[in-house]
Amino acid sequence: MADPTPNKNRLAAISTPRALATPNRRAISAEPSSLRLSASGRRNPNTPHARAAIRAIDQRRAALFTPGRVGRRRSIARERERETPRDLLRNLSRVLAPTSKPVSSSSSSSPPRGNESTLQTLLEEGDDDDDFPIERPRFSLPLDRDDDDDSELKPPRSSILDDENYTMQSIEMPRRAWTEAPLGRLDRSSLGSVRMSDFVGPEIGDDADDSNVGIDSGFFPPPALDDDTGGIALDEEAIFERMDEEARRQTIGGQDDFGPIEIPDLGNESTFVMAPVESPTRDPTMAEGAESSDIPGFDHYDDDGDDNGDGLGDLMDAPGLDDVDDVDDTEALQDTIISQVASHPAQRSTGRRKPGKRISRHGIEYPSLPVGVVKRLATTLAKTAGVSKAKLSSDTVDAIMQATDWYFEQLGDDLSAYARHAGRKTIDESDMMMLMRRQRQTSASTTPFSLAQRYLPRELLQEMRMSVPAPTKAPRKRQARQGDVEEEEVT
Amino acid sequence: MAPGQKLYPRATVKKIVKAHSNCNVSKNVDVMIFLDYVLFMQTLMKEAAIDAKQAGERGISARSVKKATADTLAKFKG
Repeated sequence: MADPTPNKNRLAAISTPRALATPNRRAISAEPSSLRLSASGRRNPNTPHARAAIRAIDQRRAALFTPGRVGRRRSIARERERETPRDLLRNLSRVLAPTSKPVSSSSSSSPPRGNESTLQTLLEEGDDDDDFPIERPRFSLPLDRDDDDDSELKPPRSSILDDENYTMQSIEMPRRAWTEAPLGRLDRSSLGSVRMSDFVGPEIGDDADDSNVGIDSGFFPPPALDDDTGGIALDEEAIFERMDEEARRQTIGGQDDFGPIEIPDLGNESTFVMAPVESPTRDPTMAEGAESSDIPGFDHYDDDGDDNGDGLGDLMDAPGLDDVDDVDDTEALQDTIISQVASHPAQRSTGRRKPGKRISRHGIEYPSLPVGVVKRLATTLAKTAGVSKAKLSSDTVDAIMQATDWYFEQLGDDLSAYARHAGRKTIDESDMMMLMRRQRQTSASTTPFSLAQRYLPRELLQEMRMSVPAPTKAPRKRQARQGDVEEEEVT
Repeated sequence: MAPGQKLYPRATVKKIVKAHSNCNVSKNVDVMIFLDYVLFMQTLMKEAAIDAKQAGERGISARSVKKATADTLAKFKG
């Protein structure tokens, strides 16, 4: 088919009667088929398939015999399809091909020529006529005018640079990645001890120590650059805010906790985040593995202590491992490395003990919960949580200890807020009830007492029972609720 | 919780809370505080265990604990 059709096409295209092609073919193919099919069709008209077949055949035959119809044979349809203008052109080209020669001007070759020519002409004209060609360059010259605009445009860039304080980067001190630092760096921090770069670390810490705390953590998420550069400015702003809202700071600080807590996790996973310098870290517990966490922690901690006066910080220093106070982290690092090389296990043990001497925001020393207790509890609870391998690694225990410290800090903030709100200076059990209810740990169905029965051993339960006899419990709750209402009314 | 041992140092808990709150702590609150702490730890370990399982770890790694810490602390924010 392929060979004959073009010829036919050519003929057809030129002389258009298509019918010419069909009658010949029909003469060949139609007769036997019509004979056979009509015979078979008339013999078995019964089955529906046969009828349908007969109908189809008749249609086909009709299509064959009627020249111009749509339902014609495919070959005809194809032929017709090929009669597009393109085919006409192709046919024409085939006819003309032997006689004609290729024209040199193709699309690919010409444009460069044209461009060259235009350029040359432009240049020449530029030399010749100062008016036009130069005018056109001045279309770019307006760009020179725009250079004024560019100068206007540039300032934004430069301002961005200023904002980013890229200049600061040149001064930037070495920083470490989050991933490198064990959790210990975060240490207790709670509030924000998490600082982004070492650079901000000691010196600024002295100035802005307290405020750094909350705000750094708050601004933590943005990449390290901002924090570094913004560190100073933000810190100072932060000071003002914080000073003003000293009272509120407790709760806010608590919220701030989450920033620093959360982000390191993310950072640990995939992204590379610069290591913070923790200021208020006084938590050697975590410090063990950390390269420098112990010491910087102490340093910053001292900074933290500066809230209450440098004396305190110095006091803290003395127990601190080194007097590295205002030294850069690099030095601290070296010191720690040396010290670790010298006495790693000893440091570890002391580190465990050391947390005992940490200082809260209020400048009160406090111990941390003994690791053994926490570990035991955690192991038990992990078993109940359905972990097959109940053994907790030391890293895990450290993380749990950290969570514990954070938890108690938050708890202290909340409880003190409740107590102060009630006009007390003593944290009462009603405060604790309040807290647990707000935590949704207790509800109408679960009383703190039932929880205690479930989770506390009998001795403590007895303590609770002795201190809070069952009958008085309900009224007390009601009282607490009333207090709640009053609080709401007050606020 | 081993039977023979005392569950937790009561004085320590009191000291911790007192230091953080700058308030006095009444006599038996620490029991409830510790109760709350147990609940906190329970939640934390549960979350950490879930996270560890999702990560396909055996046991609980520090990473999953850290991940769970933020959520759990937020949950226990009064």
